[in-house]
Amino acid sequence: MGVYRKQIEIVGDILYAAEELTIDQNGATITKLIQKANISHSRISKILTNLVSQGLLEQIDSKRACKYRISMSGKDFLREYKTFSEFTDNFGLTI
Amino acid sequence: MEFLLENILNLVGFIIGIIIGVFSYVGYRNTGSPVLFRLTIAFIAIGIGFGVIWAGYLIDDVFLQEGKINRGLQALGLGIQTIGYFFIAFSHTIKSFFPKSRYFRSVGILPLFVLSTMNIEHIIRSFSFILLVYGAIETLVSFLEGKQKGALAVGTGLALLAFGEFIAWYSLVFPESVLYSISILLKISGLISLFLPISRLPLRKIKMDDLDDDKKFDDFEDDKFGR
Repeated sequence: MGVYRKQIEIVGDILYAAEELTIDQNGATITKLIQKANISHSRISKILTNLVSQGLLEQIDSKRACKYRISMSGKDFLREYKTFSEFTDNFGLTI
Repeated sequence: MEFLLENILNLVGFIIGIIIGVFSYVGYRNTGSPVLFRLTIAFIAIGIGFGVIWAGYLIDDVFLQEGKINRGLQALGLGIQTIGYFFIAFSHTIKSFFPKSRYFRSVGILPLFVLSTMNIEHIIRSFSFILLVYGAIETLVSFLEGKQKGALAVGTGLALLAFGEFIAWYSLVFPESVLYSISILLKISGLISLFLPISRLPLRKIKMDDLDDDKKFDDFEDDKFGR
């Protein structure tokens, strides 16, 4: 049986992916984020729009493709997500 | 001796319960996770439960000086603690048995205990024991799956609390024996073990309301990607 991810876990995975892929300041393409976060295109589009509107991701318009990079508040959120994820793991639960 | 140990146990329980409860609440405020909400209720209830019993001992020590706590107050404290244990066990139940049910995930079902003092104490201790054993087993199973040391410490903590509860229940049969003191020591060890992994988490950067309300992820739709 497959393991279900909650919405917050998907958001966490996307932010992880964006953080890892934002090595330089150019950001990551949607394709890279899809591969890294293991999520479908139709679903990620909606979530990315949401994350950009909330200021957790920054959208960069380049000539070739739309790219995303993690913002400072995105990094803050990710740090807290990791902390509380570890906290719930200690109880054998998922955040 | 028992009086002193009881005071130490209930003070430690009160402090640890409130600290973990507040930490869970900060997590809930920042992420909107219902799991953290349930842990908040669980540990605040456990903290308040210990606090009520501690207050009972203090009242007796300062004002009444009868050398024993009011039975009703003790039953109340144990009942509040049991609600806390229920929410820990309930979180595992949701994970294990209700993966798709939104209604069971949100708040849960509060157990109601309506009877009178001495019998109530037996019944509440029995409920606490069962809930703690369930929570300990589920947490230790998670440890076996993920090999995370924190889960081992929490599982051991819950198991020690359960064993302490069992010995306390058994000491009612042999009231003048050393069993009650042993049960208190076991419970103190359990609480410390429960607190160990939480004390190692990086608490320095955690603050409330770091994110706006609309940044929380309340829509807990599941998604399946074979992970």
